[in-house]
Amino acid sequence: MNTVQAGLLAAVVVGTLSALGGLLLPRPARSTVVGVGIAVSGVGALVAGVAAMAGQVASFAAPDVLPLSGVVFAVDPLGGAFLAVTGGVAVATGIYGIGYCRRDRHGHGLDGRLVQTMLPLFVATMMLVPVAAGVGTFLLCWELMALTSLLLVVAEHRRRPAVASAGRWYAVMTHLGLVVILIGLLVFSAHATDGSFAALRIAGQHLSPAVADLVFLATLIGFSSKAGIVPLHAWLPRAHPEAPSNVSALMSAAMVNLGVYGIVRVGFDLLGGGVAWWWLLVLTLGAVSAVYGILQAAIGTDLKRLLGHSTTENMGLVLVGVGAAGLFASSGDLTLAGLAMAAALLHIVNHAAFKTLLFQSAGSVVHATGRRDLDDLGGLHTGMPRTTTAFGIGALSASALPPGAAFVSEWLLLQALIHGLPAGVSATIVMPLAVAAVALTAGLAVATFVKAFGVGFLARSRSPEAAGAHESPPSMLAGMGLAAAACIGLALLPTLVLPTIGAVAGGVVGSGDPVTVTATSIRLTDFAGSLSPLLLTVALVVGLVATLAAARALATRRAAREARLWDCGAGPLSARMEYTATSFAEPLQRVFDDVVQAEQDVDVTHHQESRYLVEAIEYHRRVPDRIERRLYEPVLAVMAAWGRAGRRLAPGSVHRYLGYGFYSLCALLILLVVTR
Amino acid sequence: MSTALYVQLLNLVAGAFLLTAVLILWRRELTAIIDVFALQGAALATLVGIIAVAQGSAELGAVALGVLFLRAGLLPWMLRRAAVAAGATQRETRPLVNVVSSLLAAAALTLLAYAVSQPLVELAPSPSTHAIPVGMAVVLIGFFILVTRRLALSQLVGFLLLDNGITAVGFLTATGVGLIVELGVSLDVLLVVLVLQVLKTRMREAFGATDLDELRELHD
Repeated sequence: MNTVQAGLLAAVVVGTLSALGGLLLPRPARSTVVGVGIAVSGVGALVAGVAAMAGQVASFAAPDVLPLSGVVFAVDPLGGAFLAVTGGVAVATGIYGIGYCRRDRHGHGLDGRLVQTMLPLFVATMMLVPVAAGVGTFLLCWELMALTSLLLVVAEHRRRPAVASAGRWYAVMTHLGLVVILIGLLVFSAHATDGSFAALRIAGQHLSPAVADLVFLATLIGFSSKAGIVPLHAWLPRAHPEAPSNVSALMSAAMVNLGVYGIVRVGFDLLGGGVAWWWLLVLTLGAVSAVYGILQAAIGTDLKRLLGHSTTENMGLVLVGVGAAGLFASSGDLTLAGLAMAAALLHIVNHAAFKTLLFQSAGSVVHATGRRDLDDLGGLHTGMPRTTTAFGIGALSASALPPGAAFVSEWLLLQALIHGLPAGVSATIVMPLAVAAVALTAGLAVATFVKAFGVGFLARSRSPEAAGAHESPPSMLAGMGLAAAACIGLALLPTLVLPTIGAVAGGVVGSGDPVTVTATSIRLTDFAGSLSPLLLTVALVVGLVATLAAARALATRRAAREARLWDCGAGPLSARMEYTATSFAEPLQRVFDDVVQAEQDVDVTHHQESRYLVEAIEYHRRVPDRIERRLYEPVLAVMAAWGRAGRRLAPGSVHRYLGYGFYSLCALLILLVVTR
Repeated sequence: MSTALYVQLLNLVAGAFLLTAVLILWRRELTAIIDVFALQGAALATLVGIIAVAQGSAELGAVALGVLFLRAGLLPWMLRRAAVAAGATQRETRPLVNVVSSLLAAAALTLLAYAVSQPLVELAPSPSTHAIPVGMAVVLIGFFILVTRRLALSQLVGFLLLDNGITAVGFLTATGVGLIVELGVSLDVLLVVLVLQVLKTRMREAFGATDLDELRELHD
């Protein structure tokens, strides 16, 4: 038994055992055992995934377990990458979940049997999806993952009515996605000798273009709905915020990645690369999602919803990389394709690290204050300094600025896109636009996370709940600490992971290593371009310290004078006069008004005595999702009309219902007699 | 047993099987309907028994005894008990289709059954397969009773008739469904009867009647 087999076996066995523990153990021990179990199973998956990325392979088959197709698993470097990411996220969220799920003093908690059983099962199915090596096995694991995550999303449905609605959106969209994937993969396997990926790989070589197009489009639709790509993103900003925060972290950092995995697996591996327009489509979808997602996040005020939108953005960036890789590969530019793919995979790793951390700290804020609206928060740095630091690290990592983790992957992505200019006519138009989209996204991401961190955590508290915030229990802090360490490590020393990721990316597109790495710096193969995140950070820190020291030295030369803060003569400044998330985003909302089309409402109440005196001003702003309004509402209206029409068939009479069966049976028999 | 006698007996029993189905459609008193249903169960058991004797199969003979016990004994007994408990509403006073039209419909359904079964009979012509249309006709008549009768109990009889027909077709085509399958199906039927009995009792408690049209309010 090699490392991959041992790690994967340990992960699955420990996951199953902790699910049993969640079902059978008494309440006080439950969340601890399950949390530790998830973390251990995550370590197993991480070890197996890393070993698989280094080139070790393993496979496992049980032909009699499932009827018709059997169960087949195989770990290759690509699957290993996603397995390792899922494992890493599971370690941090497992430890975090120990404290998060325990009952608080109000008796609220997530230590019920259902949640504690589903959590390890959800993690285990997420680990099995990227190692499934047959259509039947893959779809089974995919569906189990969807079902367990759905049960976890609706875990708090008794506490908030919005949870039920979010659950319905998620259930419908994930199942429609499954149906489309099912159609695509079944059409594909109808042209192969059996449903195993090995057979599909052979069949993919000589598939007629029409069938290949159908398979790719169907799977692209299904997988992109799981990845939260526009226009199939509608479930994501609903389900991710309403789920418990450890589940949000798992979904946002690990589950959405599997959508990208599906696209890469089917497009590159099984269909063998395909034609340029597929990848142009993927790239366009990615760019649109990135800009649209981060725009919604920049304007939103709900902390967790903002993070959900940011997931759409980051998956969009990953798809830009994947699409660019496909485009370059189809025009024969393999090194560049490897570079774009490596950027995409590295961004998945980075996104997993910082999104885990961000959702965990958001969860810790909700745990302490019960509030998610940024306009009600503020001043958390006094009550919860460690959580504030954690969120700060996460926000820095997410905002694509040095020394953040996302900076490295986005830099690689931009390098790939810029060097792709001479690749063909369509590329000369698309690549500059993609560069612009990535740059715009990066800029808006900075604004978004400055807003989330500055308004949410700094300044003074805007509500009594935020003022009374307390630090989270040690296990939650430990989970956040792990994720923060991963963020810092990825930001400063990406040179440790990049060679492996580059090799995996090179293996997917069939190129050599796209990047060469020295101890501190990353150098592109075949192109001019190098980056040293560590030296860059050192330079930044030195610059910052020098500036501060100079400012301090200059300030001490002049005599300091103590004075009251200028308050326009309106009395002492209160927390209500602070900059809020809504006001911070107002300029952005104005600039992008054509896209966002926010609905706002100003109600002025005048004083009774005189119209010149104002008693109160109420300002309401709603930002409806415009794509949702244009695309989903007509469909939903048609469905509702269909349902109303169908209701006439069901007046409630049992005889009528039985009659339907009887008459259709007789009609069928008569038809048989007549046509024979 | 000589072939001629076998064919004659088979035809006689099949005729009785169909006739009892039509009788159930004709009678209105619940007690009478249940008596006829018991007769039909006996006819079905005899049909299986004749096939068993013709084939000299002891296993099929055991199945025939089981069918006799279940369909001529246990089920009619349960129905009778339910009918006694129901008390006053023992007559199917106003079925959705009146009795004369029902009998005409039964004739039409029998013709349809004959027309539809021809390909099945032609597959393997033998005395037993020639009786398949009778089974089909009973299936259709049972379904018809299920659709047109108002009382829960007579609907239950319709359902059981449907199942009798299916069993008969099974024995006539394959000359014997496997014992396990027959056992499973019988268990299902028993379960359905129990469930419907519970439903009927609940309905009587809730609405004071067992007319299924009272359930109209159930839709959304």
